[in-house]
Amino acid sequence: MRVGGIMGKADDVMDICLLAGEIMLKYGAETYRVEETLERMSKAASFTNVHCFATTTGIFLSFEEKKEKEDLMQMVRIDDRMQDLSKVTDVNQVSREFVAGELTVEEARQKLNAIANAPMEYPLWLIHIASGVAGGGFSYLFGGGWFDLFPAFLAAVVSSIVVVEFERYLKVRFAAEFTAAFFGGSTAIILVYIGFGSNLDQVIIGSLMPLVPGVPLTNAVRDLMSGDLVAGVSRGAEALLTSLSIASGIALTISIFL
Amino acid sequence: MHLITELFITFIAIVAFGIIFSIPKRALLFGGTIGMITWGVLQSGLLLGTSSVFSTAIASLTAAIISHFLAKKIRIPVTALSIPGILPLVPGSRAYFTMLSFVEGDYLTGLEYGVETMLQAGAIAAGLVFALAIFSFGKGIGHRYEPNR
Repeated sequence: MRVGGIMGKADDVMDICLLAGEIMLKYGAETYRVEETLERMSKAASFTNVHCFATTTGIFLSFEEKKEKEDLMQMVRIDDRMQDLSKVTDVNQVSREFVAGELTVEEARQKLNAIANAPMEYPLWLIHIASGVAGGGFSYLFGGGWFDLFPAFLAAVVSSIVVVEFERYLKVRFAAEFTAAFFGGSTAIILVYIGFGSNLDQVIIGSLMPLVPGVPLTNAVRDLMSGDLVAGVSRGAEALLTSLSIASGIALTISIFL
Repeated sequence: MHLITELFITFIAIVAFGIIFSIPKRALLFGGTIGMITWGVLQSGLLLGTSSVFSTAIASLTAAIISHFLAKKIRIPVTALSIPGILPLVPGSRAYFTMLSFVEGDYLTGLEYGVETMLQAGAIAAGLVFALAIFSFGKGIGHRYEPNR
């Protein structure tokens, strides 16, 4: 019975560790952060021989609950990769409290489940508007004028809406970015053609800015430098593919309309 | 005066980008401020006559160092601050002109812009890496020899 209790604890800790790792990796944490968090949490639960290996698409975790017993080992596969850094921050906070002993296993599980099921930090309409503001701002920074703010705003909103809605119905990531670049660019060209805005290039660049793969790009550099070569290269490839799909989308627009 | 307008627009655009990446609310304004500083450093570098690649590297280093400091202070993953910090440096304009030249069949100009894009992206990475080397001093990965054994 007592052995069963201990087994139960090991299983529980394994579960919350993998849940924490899954949320972090899915929403855009760096690989080294996932590995470090999971190792700290397992050690804080007084397990030994802790090893964690994470790549961009999966996590392996193994530890030993007592000497001369078999190690526990589990893996999770991560299919989706989103960008929601506030969830990463929340999980970071939970793991910090767990390691400090402020949370029991059960409390940690509840908190992690709440994070996993929580809605987005910002509502979708706000994200679309923010895309527009970012697009307009960058069109000015890249050398556009005041008249280019409005068309760049509209075109960036269009590309943000297309990328979100396309991904909702057809789960093909790079095709969504390709389509978004195409529609954003087309909106920009049409708006400039009918008389809004004067610098076509800057308006198009502004409409593409919300699609920039900022999270995978930064994580790729970080992962490569901390020695996670597999994860770093795969993130870099992801960022490169995104950039290429944006470029081909806008290339199609230009070949058609100009 | 022109620079002040640009700094103001950078701040707003970077805060908006923070919302796109769902950065936690308490870090949004910090991110915007770091992005603004980055843009300021980049423009001052260009004004002083340094090359755009070098200014980018310095600006990226500044952004990364401030992000690491702040991240420790307000207990937040450093990516939530360093991503907004380096966003103003993204060579979006050059990347676009690379693609435009290739579409128009002007391969030589395209290659020129392409190389500039790659160099600028490399400069951003270099700034991040230097900051990382400073802040994770002594706990990096082993390399080549073990002289202390």
